Amino acid sequence: MGIVIAVISGKGGVGKTTAVANLGLGVAMNGKRCAVVDFDIGQRNLDMILGLENRVVYDIVQVMDGEASLKQALIKSKVNDNLRFLAASQSKDKRVLNSKKVKKLVKELKDNFDYVILDSPAGIESGFEHTIEFADAAIIVVNPEVSSIRDADRAIGILDSKSQKVKDGGEVAKYLIINRIVPDMVQSGEMLKSDDILDILNIKLVGKVPEDNGVIDASNQGKPVILDKRSVAGQAYKRISARLCGKKIDMKDVEVSDSSIFKKLVGIFR
Amino acid sequence: MFDFWRRRKSASVAKDRLSIAIMSDRGVKDIYPFMDNLKHEIVEVVRKYVGVKGIEIKKEIDGNFEAISIDVVLEKDRK
Repeated sequence: MGIVIAVISGKGGVGKTTAVANLGLGVAMNGKRCAVVDFDIGQRNLDMILGLENRVVYDIVQVMDGEASLKQALIKSKVNDNLRFLAASQSKDKRVLNSKKVKKLVKELKDNFDYVILDSPAGIESGFEHTIEFADAAIIVVNPEVSSIRDADRAIGILDSKSQKVKDGGEVAKYLIINRIVPDMVQSGEMLKSDDILDILNIKLVGKVPEDNGVIDASNQGKPVILDKRSVAGQAYKRISARLCGKKIDMKDVEVSDSSIFKKLVGIFR
Repeated sequence: MFDFWRRRKSASVAKDRLSIAIMSDRGVKDIYPFMDNLKHEIVEVVRKYVGVKGIEIKKEIDGNFEAISIDVVLEKDRK
């Protein structure tokens, strides 16, 4: 029986789908069987980031409605045998989701994979609620920027009240990813430090991802950035994936850029 | 000196503004962890004298002060 992780953000455009693609592949690269599921009904995107848009035959709604089996609908990754992908429905409306159908689907996924990672739609409406409803854990993705952090706090509030685990008297585990950190701006005091963000949101950190042009380049090609060995964001996702698989990896201080370390060294010898 | 104030780092401005915005978004319960106990005790005290139907605690932030207002709803037919 696997673990179900919902990836949420509140605000859109912070890198949620990129995180899902890279963590899914990263977990698979650690030898775990992993399914990534696009819950953003009507705005399918995970297929593009994974480079699998041409292989989609059946989608999540067809599986929930019994028009296709889960096995038929799951698409195998081109780069890793452990990774499978279930596409969102592009033509339908997110109102087609209901708790009963979602529960059944999530259970079937959980029975077949070690990790099930759900890509939530942005916002805090019904599509979001269905994504978090049966999750064991949530990864919250934020950018070091006020609107993203505020929206994330609202999403966390809803997670804490609507999750089935919480309703059953349990607790849903929450982990934060701070994405798109610009080290030089943090150093000069123009961007929130990760410690400040953790203070405000009061949850555990699972990783920090620096801003990286390689992310757009990777999405252009449909090859998750984690495959790019030179990419700082890709390396960050590698570390986070390993942490998700229970490995102890020290938190790398991505808020200090290599150039500013160099400046400090120069300062010492001056 | 003037320049110093004007050049306050924007990240710390962001932190202050966010803390306040999120506090008011979250509502009373999350701000004061003791709120459930406080509610319970107030109900106990008032109940010694008169029937209590419910209690509502609201937080108000107005400029520089914060206030909590406590409404105890009494049962109708008792004095």
